[in-house]
Amino acid sequence: MKIRTNTGWLFVLPAALVMGLVGVIPLLTVMNYSFFEIFILDQRFWIGTEWYAQIIRSEAFWASFGRSALFSALVLAVQIPMGIAIALCIPRRQIWVGFALAGVALPLLVPWNMIPALWLSLLDPETGLLGQLMARFGWSVAWKMSAVQTWAVLIVMDVWHWTSLVVILCYSALTTVPPAYYQAARIDGAGPWQVFRHIQLPRLAPVLLMAVLLRFMDSFMIYTEAFGVNAGGPDDATMFLAVQLGEEIKAFNYGPSAARSVLFFLIVLTVAWLFTRAQARLDRTEGPG
Amino acid sequence: MIAALKTTALLAFIAFACLPLVQMTMVSFIATLPTPDAEVGSVTFGNYRRLLADPALRAAFGNSIAYVVLNICITVPVAIPAAYAFARTSFVGDRHLFLAFIAFRITPPVVLTLPIFQLFSVLGIVNAPFGIALAHCLFTLPVSIWILQGFIAAVPKELDETAFLDGYSRPRFIWTHLLPLIAPGIAVTAFFCFMFSWVEVVFARILTTTGGKPISMAINALFGFRTDVGLVMAVTVASILPGAVLLFFMRNHLSRGFRVGKV
Repeated sequence: MKIRTNTGWLFVLPAALVMGLVGVIPLLTVMNYSFFEIFILDQRFWIGTEWYAQIIRSEAFWASFGRSALFSALVLAVQIPMGIAIALCIPRRQIWVGFALAGVALPLLVPWNMIPALWLSLLDPETGLLGQLMARFGWSVAWKMSAVQTWAVLIVMDVWHWTSLVVILCYSALTTVPPAYYQAARIDGAGPWQVFRHIQLPRLAPVLLMAVLLRFMDSFMIYTEAFGVNAGGPDDATMFLAVQLGEEIKAFNYGPSAARSVLFFLIVLTVAWLFTRAQARLDRTEGPG
Repeated sequence: MIAALKTTALLAFIAFACLPLVQMTMVSFIATLPTPDAEVGSVTFGNYRRLLADPALRAAFGNSIAYVVLNICITVPVAIPAAYAFARTSFVGDRHLFLAFIAFRITPPVVLTLPIFQLFSVLGIVNAPFGIALAHCLFTLPVSIWILQGFIAAVPKELDETAFLDGYSRPRFIWTHLLPLIAPGIAVTAFFCFMFSWVEVVFARILTTTGGKPISMAINALFGFRTDVGLVMAVTVASILPGAVLLFFMRNHLSRGFRVGKV
């Protein structure tokens, strides 16, 4: 068991101080702004919870909330099963496994603002590898105008970008399964599904939980890529939560954008709390170790 | 039979992962704007020559490397004792503190851009690599603590106990006994710090409005009325190279980073 001692605080203190500087102080600043009408930063008027009431009542906010939720759901529905499946396809202990993993991880190295440019270049009907192929089949890509196609581009792009992380996380969990377990399963005549359900899945569970958390939150708050592809268009069809906030900030609406930020942080806090609850539950069912 | 299917699926996925990168590399060798030495559409090294000749782009590479190295230098030394505390001790409020770290990791950068810009302006660390390095701690620090505490939890507890019986203090034990044992973990942590920090653009953009631009922002500046797509792609290829080299050296350790996901 872990030792009970409050000297642990001394060890986390440096990390907590850094987080205080880059996380807590900015967050408190935003909370403060969210209760004011601000024209310039030195001149402001207390207006209480007016901004919050305005956001909660606005249809645009709930519309983008719905869009972000749908986007996250679609992205998770593809990335998580695909990530597990690909991780299961990677053999254990082969010389080339390292190279395969490195190949899988390549999309994670591309600067985020260049990802839309890469995909749009790939889909270009005249010079893009994929665009030329699609043009041959007579599929026209008019994604700028079509909401469905913009969504499709965004989802394929996000799957391309982030499934790799799920694969790496899952594979690292799978390598912790002792080989003796597989031998025992073979002797007992267990099929592939039973091996997955009773041997691999319990090992995957904690890491998978983390993968779902990271992927859910990062796709729910997608900004750079969505802005790069179509800047929220066409006709607000890809106006996600964070894109909307970005627009507010660019328009220098300090008060409303601060209120929106605080609401986002409340969502973040709720998700993080649910995550730690789920994690504690896993710990209990798994037992120590 | 099943093994062959699995290998095919894996190769198909890798091909999918590489497809946009192949496109990018191809375009980077094509002249996309008329220049004296190459016609539009011809194969050329001109894009790379111009990349090397451009002082702004070279400086941007320097800035990117500087802020990533600074970020690792801030994150890792701070994360090691914290990871040790989370892995080995339970203290008042540890679960709440962990929750706070998780919450800040998943907070979208857009939420904090404005106050971080103001705070860093007051502190005088905008338009320099140090500012970006510090801002990126928001997500590299929680991830590092998570990775490192997995590695520390894998070290047998008996080692701690015998060291304490021998009269070592905790900090000295960490320094002399634990660090050598978790050295691969530190390398993996540094690599993931690099990976998440190198590609981030929201903080990088807002903190470098007039100077100290990293490579991602230098690429942004290339977009204009007549964008030289070939040059853009060449710079992007170059921006992926440092990561690809690190990835090559880290390939056998990649899967060791996320073994234990508990606190």
